[in-house]
Amino acid sequence: MAKNALGREIPEFIEGYGKTKLFQGAFALKPEGYRAGGKIRCVNNTCTDKRVSGIKAAIAASGLKSGMTVSFHHHLRNGDFVVNMVIDACAEMGIKNLTLFPTALFGVHKKLIEHIKSGVITRIMGSVNGPIGQLVSEGGMDVPVVLRSHGGRPRAVASGDVHIDVAFIAAPTADKYGNICGTQGKSACGSLGYAFTDAQFADCVVAVTDNLQPYPAAPVSISQLNVDIVVEVPSIGDPAGIVSGTTKVTRDPLRLLIAKYASELIEASPYFKEGISFQTGAGGIPLAVTAFMKEAMIKRGIKGSFGLGGITGYFVELLKEGLVERLMDVQSFDLEAVRSIGENPKHIEISADWYANPWNSGAAVNMLDVVILGATEVDVNFNANVNTEAEGALLHGTGGHQDTAAGAKLTIIAQPLLRGRIPCVTDNVYSVTTPGEVVDAIITEYGITINPKRKDLLDACSAVKGLPLVSMDELVSRAHKMSGPTDPVATEDRIIGVVEWRDGTVIDVVHQLKKK
Amino acid sequence: MNTAQAGTLESMDCLVTVSEAAQGAGVKIQIAGSSAARFKSAMEKKAAEVIASMGVKDIDISIQDNGALDIVLGARVEAAVKRLIGGER
Repeated sequence: MAKNALGREIPEFIEGYGKTKLFQGAFALKPEGYRAGGKIRCVNNTCTDKRVSGIKAAIAASGLKSGMTVSFHHHLRNGDFVVNMVIDACAEMGIKNLTLFPTALFGVHKKLIEHIKSGVITRIMGSVNGPIGQLVSEGGMDVPVVLRSHGGRPRAVASGDVHIDVAFIAAPTADKYGNICGTQGKSACGSLGYAFTDAQFADCVVAVTDNLQPYPAAPVSISQLNVDIVVEVPSIGDPAGIVSGTTKVTRDPLRLLIAKYASELIEASPYFKEGISFQTGAGGIPLAVTAFMKEAMIKRGIKGSFGLGGITGYFVELLKEGLVERLMDVQSFDLEAVRSIGENPKHIEISADWYANPWNSGAAVNMLDVVILGATEVDVNFNANVNTEAEGALLHGTGGHQDTAAGAKLTIIAQPLLRGRIPCVTDNVYSVTTPGEVVDAIITEYGITINPKRKDLLDACSAVKGLPLVSMDELVSRAHKMSGPTDPVATEDRIIGVVEWRDGTVIDVVHQLKKK
Repeated sequence: MNTAQAGTLESMDCLVTVSEAAQGAGVKIQIAGSSAARFKSAMEKKAAEVIASMGVKDIDISIQDNGALDIVLGARVEAAVKRLIGGER
């Protein structure tokens, strides 16, 4: 057992994961060597049509066998049919012992539990939410889940940590030779950002589509160069679960107050100037921050350069009104965003690699001024946890949390001080996702809490009259006073989750929950 | 058996149900709900304190929690007990 740079105890070897590399600091590890590559393919003019008939024929043609790694992307979100369709077919075909490598899983994938129990899936590398997270936390899988950020995942693939045997890509539009796009078709989801790296590095790429168009389909996101098999199915997803309607700003006065403080901090910071770039995601508070920032931008007559990440109708509005020049979209959250990315050339589709990978020649997060994030808890050292809930269960993926926090010049975590009785600010987080060295400020309903290492920000805020600054000590003692003492989480020694920092070092591990 | 309730299942509230217990049965407290995993000890302590301060020795208490702070929990326990023993004091 050794301690990493945050003092977390990490075994040198974890059964089912292998030898660990200790987290050394957000930017400490420097990669060496060359990128991994996929299999070389050769398709002469004997093949002018990559279609096969039915999902089982596609699986058979892909060469997928027991013990291999299959990948999926999550742009169809809770409307996705493809993951369940493929794994059901694998089960029927007697394929077992698969490593599932999704960019994220959703509630709709709880059906996979039966395949976990029967041994079709024996390892998951990716986020585990809801019922699957609960199952894993209670020891339902023999091999620990590996959690990687949106940037850590393409890094792991490109550097050879993870080899994808077969990538299944849900394709809202495709042609018979494998040109894919996400903006057209009845199951349109907008950006296909997370699928790019898989298409580039997998030994075999299968496009699953419900909207086959004549060759060559256009526009093209992922091209025929990387796609081996095309299979047409009646439906790849349920539109109601793929995109939400218009995402709404919170109306909860507490959350609006938090958003207002966040916006005031941004306005006080040196980054609030012509060309500001920001990421705010789709949560209630961050959306409200965007609304307040918009007012401030109009009032002070400044314009932004780009909005990044998961894109909502709110960002589309900023683009249309000229308050930002570009949108860089890795995932289109709602109908407005899907429409916009299909029509507006200033709304750019970017891959997860482009978005967030720490090991390429420059990810978009590096160009980010401000990001607003959430967390289940933050501690006195500003370490943030987004993976586990108060009861100790692994219930959330890392998303772009680590990457944007590391990249942005101003990383803000905005969250009410308590959720129910559970404090969001603690002495020591249960598990760490993002280290405090890349978190600059916490915003609660009690005010703005700035990481003491950002003296420049403290000075900038002190110069503005009326900004409610609250020290971390004061904040945590307030949380203690209101919530009272907590009972410890009862755990077993066994590790069920490994949380990687975006560079592949282990920032923390999550233990199995004791049976109640 | 006489029972009484106070509270709701709204966020940051709790529903407290109290029932008469036989003389000498003592105070039995059952806790379930959202904060139970991390705050059971604190909640038991608070409920027991309120019961003791009201001079009740034998009672069954069931708390269905949805994130109540101690101050809310205490008030709900007190109200439920007063409703149970109401007319007698």
